[in-house]
Amino acid sequence: MAEAIVTYDLTKTYGRNRGIRDVNLAIHPGEIFGFLGPNGAGKSTTLRTLLGFMKPSSGRAEILGMDTHARTTEVHARVGNLPSEFTLDDRMTGRQLVTLFARIRGVEDLSYAHEVAERIDADLDRPMRRLSRGNKQKIGIIQALFHQPDVIVLDEPTGGLDPLVQETFLTLLTEARGRGQTVFFSSHVLAEIERVADRVGIIREGKLIAVENPNTLTGKAVRQVRIEFAAPLDDGERAAFTRIPGVEGFAMEGTVARFSVADHMDEIVKLAARHTVLALDVERPSLEEIFLTFYGPHENGVTA
Amino acid sequence: MSTTLLKPAAATAPRRITATKQPNTLAVYARHLLGRYRRAGLFWAIGFSVYTALLVLSFPAFQNSGALDVSTYPESLREAFNLESLNLIEPYLSSQVFQLAPLVLAFYPITVFAGAIAGAEERGTLDVLLGNPLPRRNVVLGTWIAVALVMLGMLAILGAATWASALAVDVSLSAREAFRASLNLFPICMAFGSLALLMSAVVRQRAVAIGVPVVVLFLMYLIDIVGKIVSEAAGLRYASAFKYYGDAIVEGVWWGGVAVLLAVALVLLAAAIPAFDRRDIYT
Repeated sequence: MAEAIVTYDLTKTYGRNRGIRDVNLAIHPGEIFGFLGPNGAGKSTTLRTLLGFMKPSSGRAEILGMDTHARTTEVHARVGNLPSEFTLDDRMTGRQLVTLFARIRGVEDLSYAHEVAERIDADLDRPMRRLSRGNKQKIGIIQALFHQPDVIVLDEPTGGLDPLVQETFLTLLTEARGRGQTVFFSSHVLAEIERVADRVGIIREGKLIAVENPNTLTGKAVRQVRIEFAAPLDDGERAAFTRIPGVEGFAMEGTVARFSVADHMDEIVKLAARHTVLALDVERPSLEEIFLTFYGPHENGVTA
Repeated sequence: MSTTLLKPAAATAPRRITATKQPNTLAVYARHLLGRYRRAGLFWAIGFSVYTALLVLSFPAFQNSGALDVSTYPESLREAFNLESLNLIEPYLSSQVFQLAPLVLAFYPITVFAGAIAGAEERGTLDVLLGNPLPRRNVVLGTWIAVALVMLGMLAILGAATWASALAVDVSLSAREAFRASLNLFPICMAFGSLALLMSAVVRQRAVAIGVPVVVLFLMYLIDIVGKIVSEAAGLRYASAFKYYGDAIVEGVWWGGVAVLLAVALVLLAAAIPAFDRRDIYT
């Protein structure tokens, strides 16, 4: 089966250093593809160039086999899109917006729009100027999903949403996948990508640096570990920990051991289990730590 | 928790919402805009109609006061400002209302067009709209059509107000004269408006899309006045839209001028379509 989204050396440059270079992506039909990167890495530029809002400097992109620049309108008929920083005219309500978009799309069935609105608790009758950022974002989600398009492209969709709504939203995405829809969404939050994405593309400084399984990504990354034992460890027992590959910076303070480790969690747990463990904390790696683990230090220091 | 959340997925899995109509997106979008624009248009029309009606209603008093005797003024001045025979309603309205009206009423299409593309991009609402299967061409055309229709409505209100107030004080002004003078404003207002639409399609700042046509509007008004006062500069008037606008209430509609202004408006509109098609949309 043909890919849902493909980019061929997609490049967009503007200004001196901004933009994306030679991005090659292939997103399969029916998968959720996460697009991860720090702010300013080129996530929005990739999505906006892909959708035809901006003309590629070189390279091209296809959605459902159609060139997104030559056949923009046909492509948009089969794509639901949520741009970043979604907003709409002050006086317009969510209901008016969805009604207009439904008319443009020739969609008469608004049942799913109402279902989504109910599940994420969106206020469809309040004008935009009186909605908070999170409540605007809910309208943005509805207008991207209500027509159940073949391809859904979302730019930082969970921004401003409270955790409960975020969870429901991620469930909506997995349901969409269940219907055979393809989801391509960007985020700088690893946890949400890990939660729903089948694969994740990582972009930094305008370049796609890897496409991974999200579990591999966090599995290999460095984690900070803190173990509190019932009694202090003797020298031999400490040495056993430091011999585990990937363990670094091992230090004992009284009965508390602290160290960082990449992978090899199994050995650590089994070794620790020989003692009485009072507490075990493993800190999830941050996005920046994952980047460091996989791709080395940032050229100009790590950016947030 | 996750099992209960996953259940609806299985339930909705077989069914997918699909488009059931092949809509005319230009008509859908133009109708939407008509609804959005008409309120502001109504306010403009009422404001300017009240001003016009007050002038018409005070005409009999002016006429009797003798304050309108301009026979001692220099001839060039009388001609430039249409001061000749102000004791007739037509030249009176020409100089007091219709020669100045484009300077006021053109602001309506200029501001709306400037807001429609450049303004929407500044507000961040443009890409949401363009994410729909709505060709950019239809955004430009739909905006133009909606503004043109609102403009015609505004001018119809102005014509009706002018005629009704003349009737009220028993001044002889036919409905035909009142409406042709009002509707004659359409080509010139749409010409300056279309310049704003082109700017709106090209630049990213609403202020620039307003500023350029406004400067051109006032420069052309000035050229026209200078051309009327200084006989050596009379030829210059052909460079001004006001020459083609003419003086419909006194002399009747000059169809040649109407054709020139409408052609200018349509050329600017036609230029706005590829300009907008080609440019990048930022947030």
